[in-house]
Amino acid sequence: MRHLDCEDVLREVWSYLDGEVEETRFLEIQAHVEECAGCGPRYEFQRRLIMIIQTRARQGYPIPETLRQRLFRLLE
Amino acid sequence: MIGVLAVPQQESAAVAEDRERFTALITEHLDGLFRTALRLTRNRANAEDLLQETFLRAWRSFHTFKPGTNARAWLYRILMNAHIDAYRRTTREPDIVDQDDVDEFYLYSKVQESDEFRRAGNPEEALLSQLMEADVVGALEDLPESFRAVVVLADIEGFSYKEIAEVLDIPIGTVMSRLHRGRRQLQVKLWDFARRAHYVRADGNAPSTPGGAGR
Repeated sequence: MRHLDCEDVLREVWSYLDGEVEETRFLEIQAHVEECAGCGPRYEFQRRLIMIIQTRARQGYPIPETLRQRLFRLLE
Repeated sequence: MIGVLAVPQQESAAVAEDRERFTALITEHLDGLFRTALRLTRNRANAEDLLQETFLRAWRSFHTFKPGTNARAWLYRILMNAHIDAYRRTTREPDIVDQDDVDEFYLYSKVQESDEFRRAGNPEEALLSQLMEADVVGALEDLPESFRAVVVLADIEGFSYKEIAEVLDIPIGTVMSRLHRGRRQLQVKLWDFARRAHYVRADGNAPSTPGGAGR
């Protein structure tokens, strides 16, 4: 199989971070990213970015208790 | 008379059991469903209505749910369909403009090119730690609806591509292209917010130093 270059690796950043590449490919990309001074920080940044988006967007929006009670009353 | 009375009693026992099973199934997903309803409708009152409609539809079609299958995907699918029925018909989707000059690493490149952020020592972390809840929510809500749904399901709710395809009833390839384009647009928005916040702080108060938060 052809060796992965940076362009290949960068193109797959989302699929990789989303856990959507098959295992052989995953290990190839992982090995490249660990070694590569260009791809490594880019991967790390995207990983942190998605993490921060998730953390921030999940902050402070639990379902209000009054709404929860109203919903379950619909079942009665 | 006894026979007549006995039937409804049996029925209500079955209904009570269903109600119990339904409650157990939906309870743990209510926070996520409400949060998603807020992001989809961008409006608290409409989000509450949407959640109520979702709840009722789920209850009504509970008998079609197969135990052991993906309850979360089933519930989000009902939410998405209820949303489409209620809102998408009345609001016209703005034309989707793809920015050709934007790539997957837009935000990273912007930070690297910025003298302001480079002065922070760790420019990437300086930017990321500056992004607040309001910035992220604002950027999400600015996304075109079809991108927003996919980004919310993937990045906030943590669904896999296959599950999103199921929830939205679209092919996996479409999930991927909307997700990637959505994330690109999100980065453009986040850069606007971050830069604005940074300039404001540079003019007035000193920017807070994050001091290597994260791992």
